[in-house]
Amino acid sequence: MKKKFRPGAIAKWAVLIIFTFWTVVPIAIIIMNSFKKAKDIFTSSPTLFFTPTLDNYVNAFTKADFGLYYLNSTIVAFVSTAVVIIVGTFAAYALTSFQMKGANTIAGGFLVAKLVPVISMLLPLFVIINTIGLRGTLGGPIIAHIALNLPFVVWLMMGFLRDVPTELQQAAMIDGATRMQAFWRVLFPVVLPGIAAAFILSMQYSWNELLFSLQLTDLDTYTLPVGIASFTGSVSVDWGLSSAAATATMVPIIILGFFVQRYIAEGTTGGAVKG
Amino acid sequence: MRTGPPPSFASDSRPLAGSTHTNVQTNMTSTTTSRRAIPRTKSSYAKRDRRLAVILLLPAGITILLVMIIPLGFAFYTSFFNYSLGQEGNMAFVFLDNYVKFFTDPVALRSLLNTVIFTILSLAFCITIGVGISVLLRSLKPRTANVMRAIFAMPVLISPIIVSLIWRYMYDPTYGIVYFVLDHLGLGSFGGLTDSTTALFCIVITDVWHATPFIILVASAGLTVIPEELYEAARLDGASAPRMLFNITLPLMTKVLVVLILIRGTDAFRVFDLIYGLTGGGPANSTTSLSIYAYKQAFENNQMGFAMAASIVTLLCLIILFGPFLRNSAREKDA
Repeated sequence: MKKKFRPGAIAKWAVLIIFTFWTVVPIAIIIMNSFKKAKDIFTSSPTLFFTPTLDNYVNAFTKADFGLYYLNSTIVAFVSTAVVIIVGTFAAYALTSFQMKGANTIAGGFLVAKLVPVISMLLPLFVIINTIGLRGTLGGPIIAHIALNLPFVVWLMMGFLRDVPTELQQAAMIDGATRMQAFWRVLFPVVLPGIAAAFILSMQYSWNELLFSLQLTDLDTYTLPVGIASFTGSVSVDWGLSSAAATATMVPIIILGFFVQRYIAEGTTGGAVKG
Repeated sequence: MRTGPPPSFASDSRPLAGSTHTNVQTNMTSTTTSRRAIPRTKSSYAKRDRRLAVILLLPAGITILLVMIIPLGFAFYTSFFNYSLGQEGNMAFVFLDNYVKFFTDPVALRSLLNTVIFTILSLAFCITIGVGISVLLRSLKPRTANVMRAIFAMPVLISPIIVSLIWRYMYDPTYGIVYFVLDHLGLGSFGGLTDSTTALFCIVITDVWHATPFIILVASAGLTVIPEELYEAARLDGASAPRMLFNITLPLMTKVLVVLILIRGTDAFRVFDLIYGLTGGGPANSTTSLSIYAYKQAFENNQMGFAMAASIVTLLCLIILFGPFLRNSAREKDA
């Protein structure tokens, strides 16, 4: 690096370091609060050094029904994601590997579906689900999350399937395999890492989704975001308990997200960019 | 990694099966027989093939039909009626009254204004900061850039309701770090979430924290397709960093920026979770968004018909505001 560039380099690193603090500090504060006793949380200047305690976690799982919410969220995320992956992968296969008229239009339609405001879907769906008696069951959020995640998974899988050389599938079919045999023997193993990424990102969305779960569940079927909303909704917030709940909810998904974050761009923008 | 220019939204650089335009990249890298479609030998085979494609698409199509298209149709239809939940058999046809009511209700208009202000501010901050950080990251060694990007991406993985919890603590007048910092800067009188003039801005800041990582992820991916040689040539010509940004980076990122405005903009326009968790729409409706407004009409005032009308207005506003971007990005794929 030439000498004349140095002021620029210093400014660059200053910006990056400030942005690192901006990103990390709020997360660090809430994680630290989850290990603090009330007296360390309610101080006017932030305390960096304190005696850690697990009381907040114990309270979340015993006094509040946090364990139940964890189970509910796991069920909703797993079931809705499993369905979305199966339905979405086959749809993506149909849209990429077959000579089909209107494939572009259908694929574009999935993308437009993603832009519809959640509230415009929630209100009518709420009335319908209430009428057919699914309200208060886990079926409500599962159905909603399937619909919300489908466009993303279709686009992500289309990207992965297109990256597989056509020759592979052709060779299998020349050897006498049917379409579906070719899919399972040739394409499926190659795109398996892609399916894993789509699985994690779909789980992540379901795990984090609030609005549908808020209205479609009741006390026994609360998911994690609804549970956390109920901790904070009241006038006074139990910061220790809600920090523990928030930490236990976000840390697993942040860790898993590290491995798949580069696919977020691709699935969301409909292949406009590749991660 | 792709080497060509970034392909446009809603399409891909490689043609889908059945599309008519040829693609230079594909033709150059493969022989003439290796097009995407497997050559048809018998017409009965092609027919079976087509049937299989339809069967594979059917579950996805049915899902979208049942969970999106039918509910949206239901919302549109019932927005012409007055009814409350559980009273669907007892609906009174009022035609456009709900829409007239919406556009004459000051709170509804306030929520429309709030939503537009929120969307514009959030978009402006997110895109400026996100693209700026991405450009800085590109100038680092790939390894360092990847580590930093992984750290910067964290907020996007966190549930919005947790983000609102985190920031509610940060904005707390007694314990919050925001006031701790502002006090030291002599700005202790900041109204924060409890002042109707600053509350919406506070929520914008929170949204910027949550959503900028998404811009960084997409913009970084978009930047990787710009060939390094362009910058080297510009540097040899003695171009300054800002000149390279405005004459190389941004023009080549136009498509990605359009997609970002479309996706992030529609996302900001339907904001619900953050406001629900931070202020619930208050104080004095100063942070009520269209989604919050429709939600309250439905579940607090039990005016389902009116709430449906509000949600349809939300959808229509979104189409009016962002339709041009969608058309724009759809048109580019033919160019």
